[in-house]
Amino acid sequence: MADLSVEICGVKLKNPVIAASGTFGFGREYNLLYDISVLGGVSTKGLTPEPRLGNPVPRIAEGDSVILNAVGLQNPGVDAFLENDFKFLSKKTAVIANVAGKTLDDYAEICGKLDGYADFIELNISCPNVKAGGMAFGIRPESIKEVTRISKSALKYTPLIVKLSPNVESIAVNAQAAQAGGADAVSLINTLTGMVVDIEKRRPVIANNTGGVSGAGIRPIALRMVYEAAHSVNIPVIGMGGITCAEDAIAFMMAGARAVQVGTANFTDGNAMPKIISGMNSWLDAHGIKSVNEIVDTLVLNG
Amino acid sequence: MKDFVSTVKENKAIADNIYMITLTLPEDVGEVHGGQFLNLATGDSSKLLRRPLGIVKKTGLDVSVCYQVKGAGTRALTGAKAGDKLRVLLPLGNWFDLDGCKNVAVIGGGVGIFPLIAVVSELYSQINFYSYIGFRNKGAMCLTSELEKSKKLTVVTDDGSYGEKSNAVAAFFDDCKNIEYDTIIACGPPVMLRVLKGELKNRGIDKPCYVSLEERMGCGMGACLVCVCKKSDGSNARVCRDGPVFGISEVEL
Repeated sequence: MADLSVEICGVKLKNPVIAASGTFGFGREYNLLYDISVLGGVSTKGLTPEPRLGNPVPRIAEGDSVILNAVGLQNPGVDAFLENDFKFLSKKTAVIANVAGKTLDDYAEICGKLDGYADFIELNISCPNVKAGGMAFGIRPESIKEVTRISKSALKYTPLIVKLSPNVESIAVNAQAAQAGGADAVSLINTLTGMVVDIEKRRPVIANNTGGVSGAGIRPIALRMVYEAAHSVNIPVIGMGGITCAEDAIAFMMAGARAVQVGTANFTDGNAMPKIISGMNSWLDAHGIKSVNEIVDTLVLNG
Repeated sequence: MKDFVSTVKENKAIADNIYMITLTLPEDVGEVHGGQFLNLATGDSSKLLRRPLGIVKKTGLDVSVCYQVKGAGTRALTGAKAGDKLRVLLPLGNWFDLDGCKNVAVIGGGVGIFPLIAVVSELYSQINFYSYIGFRNKGAMCLTSELEKSKKLTVVTDDGSYGEKSNAVAAFFDDCKNIEYDTIIACGPPVMLRVLKGELKNRGIDKPCYVSLEERMGCGMGACLVCVCKKSDGSNARVCRDGPVFGISEVEL
């Protein structure tokens, strides 16, 4: 039995496997399938200061080894989350409160409300599916630094993770911008922007026209970006993008991630995350490795 | 709710482009009611989403669903052979709750008949069903024999190639004065449900009417908020978890 526990920004997680935002709600539904206290953490559905209804349907489409979604941040608002869901989730596992806003003030407000409650705040500045306040903040290094700085200034207790968009010029420069703005960690990658077309209707399948591409097919891109980010900052990196099995999670950690998030794989197999956790344990045991931390950033580049 | 690997027992065409697949579950999942659905892998590992399919029948560990071939995923599913393994999540969603109902009108269009068949099969000994079923044409007809347990069964087609040239909703309204019914259940394409809702309103019929909705889904269990429908009060409901069965006046169609 290997030691799977990891510590990120002073917060101890029982293992490095976290449910990715948007795929897991606030954990209640998956908890009917298995006890979600086995997870390292849950990143919540993106929370905004006010309740949001999100985009029209269809909100999802499929490609080969990928899916696209454009939910558009439907959520009950941060106050309802704190009142109705936070206690349930925090009793189970580490709570990564994923937050988004339309304005810089929104980010400060929502961070202030969650400070001291959530184990982490994950700044969603990379949602490709809303017109204002999503990706708008997450493209240019200057705005990443600014939204990070303002969010951080509203936080006394809870460490701040900045979730980075892959739809950018340089992931390394943007990771550095988050660090310069005071981020305690970065997570990546959010979804790539894509489109699927129904040729009979001559229309995109998703009502929003474009959606965020996720799933196994984006894994090589995500892995490359996680490697680049991890080697451009000295704050912890949380890796995600198409992780489906224990071997994928291990590859991300070798590339420099201190923990990983799993999203789309939950749709293909509702028990994906418990399997990844036990699979990582078996792999570490089989390789005589006592702690998962020993594999972090151990990738050896060719030539 | 369980998520496990089932074994394909049989997978056969039952009409033009329509298949019935029977899966043997590795363990029981308890009672399943008409209107509930499952999420089934297509057998093509490049398709990451499972297909939500209304349960037609469950006998012991065997569960049957039907599907229409619509795209690459359902086309892949037609290739599943007896003995193949397919991951499945079930049972999902709510069901047609007909507690206390005595006489129920059943309105089904095309592939919308499958959850209705489950309802009739489950409850025909307690409830009189009056079923109005429409298909595009004779070639699309399937499983109508399962509905013969109805007290009355009317089958029509859009082109008149079987039965009268009509549709399920029209067939029901043509006959509704001749039958005693206390409740309506319906499933079919969105346009059919819209027409039904409009006609009920026009005719001032305010008997309880329950409809089962379809939407593209992600997780299937209510976590991802992909498959929402608009409720009449402006809020969103999750088709997979708050539904798929809703009161017709409760939702925007």
